[in-house]
Amino acid sequence: MELARFRDEVEAWADDHRAELTPPPQAESSLDAQMAHLSTVKRLAYDAGWMRWGWPERVGGLGGSTLLRAQLGETLTTRGYVEPGYYSMTEVLAPTMIEFAPPELAAEMVPRLLRGDETWCQGFSEPGTGSNLGALACRAERTDEGWRVNGQKVWTSLAQLSQRCVLLTRTGTKEDAHRGITALFVDMDTPGITVRPLRTMHGVDEFCEVFYDDVLIPFERTLGEVGGGWSVAMDLLPYERSTSLWHRGAYLHQRLERLLAEAPSGSLGAGPVGDAALQLFAFRDRSRNTQYRLAGGETLGPETSVDKVMLGTTEQAVFDLVEEGLAASVVAGDDSRSARWRSDYLYSRAATIYGGTGEVQRNILARRVLGLGDDR
Amino acid sequence: MSRTVDAEERAAFAEGVRQAFGRPDADTALAELGWTDALAEWGGAAIETVFTEQGRARATSTALDDVLLAALGLTGQHAVALSPVGSRETPGRLGPDGLSVAGLASSRILGGTLVVVAGGVAVTVPAAALSIRPLGGIDPDAGLMVVEGSVPREDFLDETDVAWTDALAAAQLALACELVGLSRSMLALAREHALSRVQFDRPISGFQAVRHKLADTLVAIEGAAAGAGAAADDLSLAPLAKALAGKAARLTAKHAQQVLAGIGFTAEHAFHRHLKRAMLLDELAGSARVLAHELGEQILATGHAPVTLPL
Repeated sequence: MELARFRDEVEAWADDHRAELTPPPQAESSLDAQMAHLSTVKRLAYDAGWMRWGWPERVGGLGGSTLLRAQLGETLTTRGYVEPGYYSMTEVLAPTMIEFAPPELAAEMVPRLLRGDETWCQGFSEPGTGSNLGALACRAERTDEGWRVNGQKVWTSLAQLSQRCVLLTRTGTKEDAHRGITALFVDMDTPGITVRPLRTMHGVDEFCEVFYDDVLIPFERTLGEVGGGWSVAMDLLPYERSTSLWHRGAYLHQRLERLLAEAPSGSLGAGPVGDAALQLFAFRDRSRNTQYRLAGGETLGPETSVDKVMLGTTEQAVFDLVEEGLAASVVAGDDSRSARWRSDYLYSRAATIYGGTGEVQRNILARRVLGLGDDR
Repeated sequence: MSRTVDAEERAAFAEGVRQAFGRPDADTALAELGWTDALAEWGGAAIETVFTEQGRARATSTALDDVLLAALGLTGQHAVALSPVGSRETPGRLGPDGLSVAGLASSRILGGTLVVVAGGVAVTVPAAALSIRPLGGIDPDAGLMVVEGSVPREDFLDETDVAWTDALAAAQLALACELVGLSRSMLALAREHALSRVQFDRPISGFQAVRHKLADTLVAIEGAAAGAGAAADDLSLAPLAKALAGKAARLTAKHAQQVLAGIGFTAEHAFHRHLKRAMLLDELAGSARVLAHELGEQILATGHAPVTLPL
């Protein structure tokens, strides 16, 4: 499938199916409704074939370039059909399964994710392990029946709605640091798992604390090598900064144009608008190049931290404009439109925190791209 | 980076261009390399390669004349007048008696002929009819001349209908790329200094305040480079690329100056020459400040923000 033809056809399809693809009003205020709608969109896109392009045939895909996935996400996001943060979790989790899961497991599970049958989550962060992933402590011990997992995760997005989790555990000693980590694929209904949603400042139960008490995971659910969990995590991070960020750029463009339509005349200054638009333009140009590098088979590495830093600053610049142009709505509005702007504004404050803070990204760039040596 | 040209062919060309700017007469070296053929064949991708390297080497050449001639659809070995510093208006004005000129030109004008756009017409005139002096100011070795004067109609060598906006966009792309190259050089100077300068018993590159300044610089440069690459494939994006490159150069200069500290403030260190070149180039064909403001006004008037190229 050629990209230009794919774009024409998927955009026509997206326009023709506007009624079914547009989120219902309750999805504005309810996470459950929003996630149910996401499943509907993925199902429709899967059945029409779009969702299968760009994925290998052995996991139910139709093959073709990863650019097709970037295009589909852009098409759906630009029209406001999906929220890119939730939609793009597929872009992070499916490649991990394809790369590291036993082939039969990947073939069984990945289509469920693509089709919207299931939601998956990512159990990385812990109360004592935010930016310093190598220090994680959630323990998996080898027993006769499989891995026995004990510990706690936090900031696990959508854990309360998830059927599966890609979980990082410590199987070596603390001193092994990043060498003693193993990735497991966990059914969230396994006995011993307790999920406690965290209410965020933007009013959504998006993140969770997840407690593991003597949770038994079969050995066949090991992803990659025992002790090789660090490579699983490192392999996944560039995906988090490629296709997902292209979708987020499309989303920011859509929100900026919405702002221009809604902001009262005279509420926005030409200088700040021009600056934010320039940042968004640069971010999307950069992200576009990254999509082509990924599609060309290049291994993405630490230079993708440039993309992540650009996302953080761009997203905050766009929503700083929102706060300027729609100040009364964001600060004092009680209607659903105001609530949406307020929520999006508040969420944008996390753009320099999640997925590796802005500081960690700059540390990566300094050490691994600029070659400035160690910082201690 | 522009995606229209085969990567290997382009890398070989870039290597040749790098060597050309290492030679005392870059123009001869570029001609030997077939730069104008590359320009005719590749368009923006050739401009991107040559001007990024020109900036990186902080070199001068008359390649911008070739870019402007191609954009105007003209041939020959003429110099082409640029708008004066701080302006984007056509450098010429046609009156009943002839042409009045106020602009800038490269040293190619010493070869004898100058193309001056006035309204929708490109007029070729003999340089001898004009007053020509080197541009002084902050960067006297930028290879630019100030050109002023009037040329009576009977002295016109040629008149061709053109669109100044085409020339302006091509100049903005070239200058954007040159600013990106200059910024990369400034970052390299700051990086080398940070690695070698020892204070408190360690290289200052070990201090996070220094590291993060240089990382932010890299992010700004990569954003500007990506913007220039998009403009190389679609010239309508050139004003955005020029604005981004001007901003990136100013941020780079600020951070590099701070990291270089005392040594970067001396005349013997190379940094100040880069800073001054960047300040001059930012003011040519629309500064970052002016272009960003204009973009904002245009967005507010139309309700639409610019989009990049489709995937």
